[in-house]
Amino acid sequence: MSGTDTASLAVFALVATLVSVVAWRHTRATTVDFFLAGRRTGMITNAGAICGDYLSAASFLGVAGAVYASGLDGIWYATGFAAGFVPVLLFVAAPLRRLGTVSLPDFLAVRFDSAQVRVAAVVSVELVILSYLVPQAVGSGLTWELLVGQGIAGLSPYVTGIVVSTVAVGGIVVIGGMRGTTWNQALQFGFLLAVVVWLSALLWAGGFSYPAAVEQASAEPLQAVVSDRLVGVTNQLSGESARFGAPGARYGPIGQVALLVTLVLGTAGLPHVMNRYFTAVTGRAARATTVWVLGLAGSFYALAVLLGTAARVMVAGRAEEPWLAELTVDGVLRVPEHALLVLGRLLAGTPGLAVVSAAAFAAMVSTIGGLLLAAAASFGHDVVARIWRPSASPRVAVVAGRGAGIVVSVLAAVVAISVEPERLVATFPSVIATMVTWAFALAGSALTPAVLLGIWWRDATARGAVAGIWTGAIIAVGALVVGLVIGPDPSDGLSAVLLAPAMIAAPISAVTIVVVSRLDTGPSVRPRVWTRMHGTAADRQTERMAQITLRGRR
Amino acid sequence: MARVEMGRGSPRGLEQFDGHSEVVAAARTQRRIALGYGLVFVLAILSVPMLSLSLPWWTGSRLVGGMSPSFVVVAGGLYVFFLALGVAAATLARSVEDRMLGTSEDDADHEPTR
Repeated sequence: MSGTDTASLAVFALVATLVSVVAWRHTRATTVDFFLAGRRTGMITNAGAICGDYLSAASFLGVAGAVYASGLDGIWYATGFAAGFVPVLLFVAAPLRRLGTVSLPDFLAVRFDSAQVRVAAVVSVELVILSYLVPQAVGSGLTWELLVGQGIAGLSPYVTGIVVSTVAVGGIVVIGGMRGTTWNQALQFGFLLAVVVWLSALLWAGGFSYPAAVEQASAEPLQAVVSDRLVGVTNQLSGESARFGAPGARYGPIGQVALLVTLVLGTAGLPHVMNRYFTAVTGRAARATTVWVLGLAGSFYALAVLLGTAARVMVAGRAEEPWLAELTVDGVLRVPEHALLVLGRLLAGTPGLAVVSAAAFAAMVSTIGGLLLAAAASFGHDVVARIWRPSASPRVAVVAGRGAGIVVSVLAAVVAISVEPERLVATFPSVIATMVTWAFALAGSALTPAVLLGIWWRDATARGAVAGIWTGAIIAVGALVVGLVIGPDPSDGLSAVLLAPAMIAAPISAVTIVVVSRLDTGPSVRPRVWTRMHGTAADRQTERMAQITLRGRR
Repeated sequence: MARVEMGRGSPRGLEQFDGHSEVVAAARTQRRIALGYGLVFVLAILSVPMLSLSLPWWTGSRLVGGMSPSFVVVAGGLYVFFLALGVAAATLARSVEDRMLGTSEDDADHEPTR
């Protein structure tokens, strides 16, 4: 590791620690303060934090890697990730915030007035968090392996990366709570965006032409490294050799729709992203925040796609350089997720690699932070304060939440250490993005149907919600397990649907909620819950008080 | 009729109210709007792969350099579309809320929100 690498990581760690300590000094041991940053997060800060939360290793390393590996079909990951916020804006953001709850399970439990709904939602949320954490930890290991290349205390570089990121993020969350995590996530997203803008500017300054790069990348058939040798990629639509700029390098028609549906539906059920909406000042602010997210995330993904394209062309052109030869086979990267890191070094030398690596760590740290906080909120608030010990003080819930965050992060690290990414790459060309898709599938199948129907259908009952959540979760987990057992590199047909099962599991979950609710003689939504969720009294009052405060200051 | 009063204990004259029946009507309108925009969103996003399967020009022709219409739309155009759709939907939703809520003077049972 060079001095630049050390300096970039040290600066990153120092800033994150400082922010967390400052946040800790401003955080009281109350549920609203620790889990929701006092519900006073501004719109742009929250939009930045949501992007920081959402743009994980899958987005930063995974999207460029998927574009590098599969061209046009890889871009659909970016499209799906960005598209997921459209349904959130249309159907979820404002009512979710207006109900005034603390976590996604809390929202569902209050809406359906049911402890059973809370339990089902907590189990689903913890499953989603765990399956989302593992690819982040894998990304940490891969980045450390490439940047540092050395282990600590006898550990391999891959394992060292996982351990370091786990300890660092665990500390940030436990110390800083939601306020520290919010500030860190917003800052880290700003850093990520600055890095992709900087890399794009370097490309253009060097005479890079995007259209010409697509033409150059599409001139030869796509190839991938499998077991240390190059193999041609087959077009799933035509059966011929796949090309960078043409559809079919990764997915057939069913596979592509399955991926899209999974990513679009999954976002509205991601606990760490939805939890950020509870920190907004009002429901209107939550909705407006999502508009900002669409703009910021869209800009980021458009540039990430450009950088993946540039990597495809530049890596092949300079593969004879010794350091790059180690990472490639005949000009093609062994691990596509290295594309952005390699591009950083190609464009700006070792400092470029250091900056991109620090950004990759920032992406992972901010997402892991959000995930751990969501785990903490669902355990501390939903399990301890609402189910296990309703008489417990807020301080007990916060302490339990901190403990849950540590346990979940260790569990994810253990699973990630047992994963061998180079073996998985043979099966899934863009391993981090693929693994994150599984978390989206779980969220979209188990939680999103209950959230959507709970918000918009008054007759949805608690029994319906419980049945729908369990049905969606069981089908999604079952499909993923079966898909992993039977399907090498699923591109289309049944295998592709099994590994992105929201397309079948979410409709079945929704139908289950509708049928069981129709058959159920129990109560539907309480009028005051509906009024609070869809009314704007709280928003108007907060806005008027803010106006008066502003006038008073003048 | 349920009714929500905001901010018990807040400064006098600042309390805001939503009548349950006006909220039900507003929610119904918001649902219709959201479903309409949702339909546009689904059609737009599904049209890209459908055009790839049905229209050779969509993937075979070149607009600029090596970029086909499909590539241009997927790599950049859709993000602009998502943002435009989001801005339009958020603006309309807000104006519906302003028009339909906060006008009731109904005095039925009410309880403070959290």
